[in-house]
Amino acid sequence: MSWILTVLSSSIGKKYIMAVSGACLSFFLLAHLIGNSVSFWGKEAYNSYASHLHSLGFLIYILEILLLLLFLVHIVMGITLFIENLSARPNRYAVKEKERNWSASTMPYTGILILLFLVVHLVNFHFITKTVSTAELVKTTLSNPLIASFYLLSLSGLTLHASHGFWSLFQSLGINHQKYNKLLQLGGLAMAVIIGTTFILIPLLIVTTDSFLQ
Amino acid sequence: MQLDHRIPSGPLTEKWDRFRFETKLINPANKRKFEIIVVGAGLAGASASATLGELGYNVKTFCIQDSPRRGHSIAAQGGINAAKNCQNDGDSIWRLFYDTIKGGDFRAREANVYRLAQISNQIIDQCVAQGVPFAREYGGLLANRSFGGAQVSRTFYARGQTGQQLLLGAYSAMMRQVKTGKVTLHPRSEMMDLVVINGQARGIVTRNLITGAIDSHAADAVVLATGGYGNAYYLSTNAMASNVTATWRAYKRGAAFANPCFVQIHPTCIPVHGTYQSKLTLMSESLRNDGRVWVPTRSGDKRPPTEIPEAERDYYLEKKYPSFGNLVPRDVASRNAKEQCDQGKGVGDTGLAVYLDFADAINRLGEAAIRQKYGNLFDMYEKITGQDPVKEPMTIYPAVHYTMGGLWVDYHLMSTVPGLFVLGEANFSDHGANRLGASALMQGLADGYFVLPATISSHFAKSALVPITTSHPAFTEAIDTTKGRIQRLLSINGKRTPDDFHRELGLLLWDHCGMARNEAGLKLALDRLSELREKFWHNLKVTGSGADLNQTLERAGRVADFIEFAEVMILDALSRQESCGCHFREESQTAEHEAKRIDDTYSHVSAWQYQGEDQTPTLHKEPLVFENIQLSQRSYK
Amino acid sequence: MNIIHLTLKIWRQTGPESKGSFKTYESGPITTAMSFLEMLDVLNERLILSGEEPVAFDHDCREGICGMCGSVINGTPHGPEKKTTLCQLHMRHFKDGDTLVIEPFRSRAFKLVKDLIVDRSPFDAIIAEGGYVSVNTGGTPDANAIPIPTFTAEQALDAAECIGCGACVAACPNGSAMLFVGAKISHLALLPQGQPERSKRALAMVKKMDELGFGNCGNEKYCEKACPKGISISNIARLNREFMKAAFCSVEE
Ligand SMILES: Cc1cc2nc3c(=O)[nH]c(=O)nc-3n(C[C@H](O)[C@H](O)[C@H](O)COP(=O)(O)OP(=O)(O)OC[C@H]3O[C@@H](n4cnc5c(N)ncnc54)[C@H](O)[C@@H]3O)c2cc1C
Ligand code: HEM
Ligand code: SF4
Ligand code: FES
Repeated sequence: MSWILTVLSSSIGKKYIMAVSGACLSFFLLAHLIGNSVSFWGKEAYNSYASHLHSLGFLIYILEILLLLLFLVHIVMGITLFIENLSARPNRYAVKEKERNWSASTMPYTGILILLFLVVHLVNFHFITKTVSTAELVKTTLSNPLIASFYLLSLSGLTLHASHGFWSLFQSLGINHQKYNKLLQLGGLAMAVIIGTTFILIPLLIVTTDSFLQ
Repeated sequence: MQLDHRIPSGPLTEKWDRFRFETKLINPANKRKFEIIVVGAGLAGASASATLGELGYNVKTFCIQDSPRRGHSIAAQGGINAAKNCQNDGDSIWRLFYDTIKGGDFRAREANVYRLAQISNQIIDQCVAQGVPFAREYGGLLANRSFGGAQVSRTFYARGQTGQQLLLGAYSAMMRQVKTGKVTLHPRSEMMDLVVINGQARGIVTRNLITGAIDSHAADAVVLATGGYGNAYYLSTNAMASNVTATWRAYKRGAAFANPCFVQIHPTCIPVHGTYQSKLTLMSESLRNDGRVWVPTRSGDKRPPTEIPEAERDYYLEKKYPSFGNLVPRDVASRNAKEQCDQGKGVGDTGLAVYLDFADAINRLGEAAIRQKYGNLFDMYEKITGQDPVKEPMTIYPAVHYTMGGLWVDYHLMSTVPGLFVLGEANFSDHGANRLGASALMQGLADGYFVLPATISSHFAKSALVPITTSHPAFTEAIDTTKGRIQRLLSINGKRTPDDFHRELGLLLWDHCGMARNEAGLKLALDRLSELREKFWHNLKVTGSGADLNQTLERAGRVADFIEFAEVMILDALSRQESCGCHFREESQTAEHEAKRIDDTYSHVSAWQYQGEDQTPTLHKEPLVFENIQLSQRSYK
Repeated sequence: MNIIHLTLKIWRQTGPESKGSFKTYESGPITTAMSFLEMLDVLNERLILSGEEPVAFDHDCREGICGMCGSVINGTPHGPEKKTTLCQLHMRHFKDGDTLVIEPFRSRAFKLVKDLIVDRSPFDAIIAEGGYVSVNTGGTPDANAIPIPTFTAEQALDAAECIGCGACVAACPNGSAMLFVGAKISHLALLPQGQPERSKRALAMVKKMDELGFGNCGNEKYCEKACPKGISISNIARLNREFMKAAFCSVEE
């Protein structure tokens, strides 16, 4: 079975890992988004979603561990690639290329931003002894303009990360066909924008409107 | 010097089979005991290296470029001929053979050319098996086009980059042998000398172009596949590194040089636009299928082409050659363009160009149809000149393109130095006095894949070769000579660059040994040449040292050889007092100013033998015997 | 035809071990009909006469097909024109007074040789691992024995057009050779002749590519933009697919 190790440690194998973990994270993101979108239907709905989620009990722990593993794999691999790539091109050019591919070039940096966000996010909502309802917790935490703007920034970063990532993962897995390439590209971008803006709406509405989650 | 062509006896169609049957073979286990040096990794060199490696020989392959994939063959555009008769239009091995002999104006050997036509079909099979993506018909079978005025469609092609695809095929086959260890590559190495021991070619001296190291390599046979010498003219369609150095060094060690004055000048190239010009770009000859060639009727007419009315245009080819019109062969089209420009009717800034006009074809077929046919050529033209051939006529002018002359070889492709084989454009073998379009690629691959591998074993089987190492005094001598030459080039410290001298040489040859030659001009050129040589060795400037990468030094060495070589070229042109193919002696023309061959006196190959520094070389003649075809005068009226 | 004057900042480095730096030259009068390399020729002629070593740069065909030329002009390999090699880039695309920064291709896998010349032999080493169909000369079937659809042949040629110039590696911020390798893998994977060794080839060539110090593909598309032959990154996707099939579905290891 050593061939598996050989394959996965090759340059292309590492990209498979990135792509598969990225794809799974994207599914999580989608699920997380759908869950949180319940907030648009008001406080009660949101709280009931939260309690339903917690009633999963044992299952939720397993999912959390899986998610943690996914993140770890994605992050460790991402950082490995970043370091390897830096050393593959030790000298930069004196003049920078004019037309830059921003979303792609910033993957490692938006990635780190997401990581920071995760820590803050988990400290805010996970590693906390809850005294109030989830809705109230979200509302009060995100009412803090500092935290809210950090959320806005990181979620924009996430959007950028996903806008390249969604298309990129298909390319990395070799899913590519002349007839569908445009669809994949536009679809990936659309997904990223939809997910991104919907997430961003939550802190944005909290800061701008009093009635949200009230 | 004995010029024994070693053509097997028997009927023409059976010679090659007979040769292969009668050849003594080498036991497969013994092949690995032989070392072969291949200089050059163009089509001929790469295909030879690959095949020799497959057969089990130990091969060392040298080339100038950083990778063998870049040899000059890569630039061939049009295609490669084969007698497969895929189009059922009446082609056959015999017709390809006949067309090649006739196209060469009856100055090539029947037996060699027949063998080439025979092998042509196998080449296509071989290339397809390697994964060369030739153009296909919708049914999935191979497509063909007609090329260079041929009446049958026998040219196989891969868009406008057939040479590239064929070379990548040969290169990849060779790289497979590199992997097996049978072929060792020496890129960025230039052959500086041939080492001959006991009358046998036994090694070479090279310069490592990165470190400047002068190395020597011993072997049981040396194969030269170093391409043509068109760059003697400075401006040509050849790649910048194309040179005569390798063949010239071999000549100086005893290999005869055959027909050096046979140089093909291609009619449709992008004209020169300034003195800084470094090379000329070929525009595929297929353009003449739809483009009409013209100049203004009045000499010195400087109006832009679109303002010259129809009545004041001279479609000189159509007028002069009603039946072939714009499709006359390369040499005829080139000569006529020169004639028009000599009369002051040339167009463009320099007056050295004629128009190739697509307006009529566009009116007839529509712009879209013309773009579909020639789009990539139009783009290439526009990229270089900044002008759109749809809006205004192209300007074209002839340029040096291919050299039919080369080292003399017999039927075995062996030169007059035993153990020295010469392949591809570097030899003189198959094209006579003029090469047909799409036949050079065919010849390079025939030589490398099929002919040499068969003949070299016969050489090994027959000769008793004593083991030799590079410590033999002949190697030391060759190394010293090479080092001395380099030192000499570096120490002149004059005031002119190698390119500057090269440009002067090019102009001299172009003016007097180009499209039209005459005795007075050639003699003048000889005088001017010796002056140029004087000046070169007294006023050359080369910067840097010989001990690292030094491109100025590389060029200087090549220019020095071109200057020496030019003398033989002019002597050859002087001695052949007939017109044939590309060689147009003004003294020998018909009443209608067409080339006139003189078969009684000149139906021979001229082979020049080196006699020592500053000595006039000796001319040897190999008579050409035509037993299977009738000689005829070409006519395109 | 116009005359322009340019300021040229050119990377000068005497050898692989020495330290390089930019040196500034005035171009002198340059006609706009010149190619970029002819502009360098003019500069070099002047340098030789003044006793300074000319700028070393690689070139051969000057027709955009041999793949030997290539430097980075103002941050872009082969300069600003799309689908154009440096030798086919003409000076009419520049304005009087422009400053051009001319640098060698940079990546760990391509060692610098001198000035603008780098060593691209790693490409040859990758091809030697499997960029071929293992057929010996002779004994091959008739060329028309296997029909190949026009579209397939054209698609294979689209990939096979790669001239091995290395601009893709130079353009890639990660120094990855995936476009070059993808092009060769695609060329042979598309054709029936390439099938027998399809899996072996993909595994071996990728292994070599990794060993030689090229970076990992980040799907950033800089390579495609710089490629003078317009090789598409769909060839990289095909390489990813071929490698996956070879790794997980074939018996090759
Ligand atoms: C623009 C153009 C288009 C053409 N189109 C066609 C066409 O459509 N059809 C056709 O049939 N023919 C065509 N030709 C002609 C054809 O391309 C050449 O004749 C043929 O490719 C020559 O191949 P070769 O292997 O003999 O030599 P080359 O390809 O010239 O290779 C020479 C090799 O020798 C090496 N070398 C040279 N000197 C030395 C030295 N001193 N030391 C070490 N190595 C050395 C070089 O590095 C190179 O590897 C064309 C030619 C040109 C210029
Ligand atoms: C929910 C969060 C995340 C999602 C949905 C996500 C998704 C993706 C996707 C789909 C890809 C494309 C993979 C490919 O190119 O095949 C990707 C690439 C990448 N991700 Fe993430 N990611 C997330 C978080 C992170 C984090 C926390 C990091 C932290 C370091 C990170 C670093 C990277 C890097 C560096 C790449 C580029 C890899 C490369 O192409 O070289 N990502 N991501
Ligand atoms: S893929 Fe394009 S850029 Fe890369 S080597 Fe080939 S031709 Fe050059
Ligand atoms: S010199 Fe051949 S591609 Fe530029």
